Amino acid sequence: MGEPNQLSRHNFMQAAIWGIGGFIGLGYVVSAIAYIVKPSLKNQQTQTWMRLGPTSKVELGIPTLFTFTIETQTGWISNTQEVSVYVLSTDGRTYIAMSNICTHLGCHVRWIVEKNQFTCPCHNGVFDVSGNVVSGPPPRPLDRYDVKVENDQLYVLVGG
Amino acid sequence: MVSKFTQWLDERTSFRQVWEAIFLRKIPKVNWWFTLGSASLFLALNQGITGILLTLYYVPTPDHAYDSVQYITTQVPLGWLVRGLHHWGASLMIVLVVLHMLRVILYGAYKFPREVTWFTGVILLLVVIGFGFTGYLLPWDQKSFWATTVGTRIAGTPPLIGDYLLRIIRGGSEITAVTLVRFFGVHVWVLPTLLILLIGIHLYLIIKNGISAVPQRGK
Repeated sequence: MGEPNQLSRHNFMQAAIWGIGGFIGLGYVVSAIAYIVKPSLKNQQTQTWMRLGPTSKVELGIPTLFTFTIETQTGWISNTQEVSVYVLSTDGRTYIAMSNICTHLGCHVRWIVEKNQFTCPCHNGVFDVSGNVVSGPPPRPLDRYDVKVENDQLYVLVGG
Repeated sequence: MVSKFTQWLDERTSFRQVWEAIFLRKIPKVNWWFTLGSASLFLALNQGITGILLTLYYVPTPDHAYDSVQYITTQVPLGWLVRGLHHWGASLMIVLVVLHMLRVILYGAYKFPREVTWFTGVILLLVVIGFGFTGYLLPWDQKSFWATTVGTRIAGTPPLIGDYLLRIIRGGSEITAVTLVRFFGVHVWVLPTLLILLIGIHLYLIIKNGISAVPQRGK
């Protein structure tokens, strides 16, 4: 070892090796994180209004099931996904559109006519006619879509 | 605090002794040609890291292989970099290990007591060529397909066993999904296992025997 404050050849090489090695290592780590994390956080779809069908199909006071398909791009594969929406109207003028995805853990809820309730088969979550939780584990009411009516056709806002 | 911890760890693992044996060992005065082995080791590390990253998106089936590679190259952030490092690293690897071998031959470094180091090195060369051969098919484009057609045909040329060899390598008489997935399996499981094992022995022997000096005239 040299005098204090004097950089010996040994110390210089040591610092250079650790420095350059650390720099290269950091390059790998940062690249790897971007490579792994960023595609997972990308939204698969842009916001669009999807046409459900005519308003005349909705029976007053009963959630009516509409289905439509959306194009999704997952990785390098394009596929179509079926989406189900329950539409409820109590006055024939205003409409609410509810997702059929249970707010507990994502299973599909069904409208049971006899019981006048939505039930989820996975963990017995029960929702009332407008999607509020009646019993079971769901932490919040069914999610709702923005709805609009144009020329007696129902539209919901999906994606984003 | 740190020194207390390293003290504690050293008492139980003797890691300092291992560190010194590997990095602070005495070596003869040598030249830059003696860095080719370390350079190959660094590249092997690069191939391992980028290869593992590629498998996160790559799918070894005929209907997805090409598209998943295109997805990595054009869509995944820095995917072009990861694939590029793996692609160019592979070519550079062949160049470096061949130069490394030439240095060992020309300096006579394969002689007693380093013959076993040399033998493992020869097998390592074959493993590296195997990596190149199997990896070339994986992008599943025209170039890979026809290169593998030709390469496996060459394997089919020996008399008597040639046809069997060709079928075993291809997993049938044609290049199909079976060929692709077995090349992938060999590329990511069989060869890396062999590589790690052989590099372990190779490095142990280098440290055990010490490296050879540059030959001097008249000695």
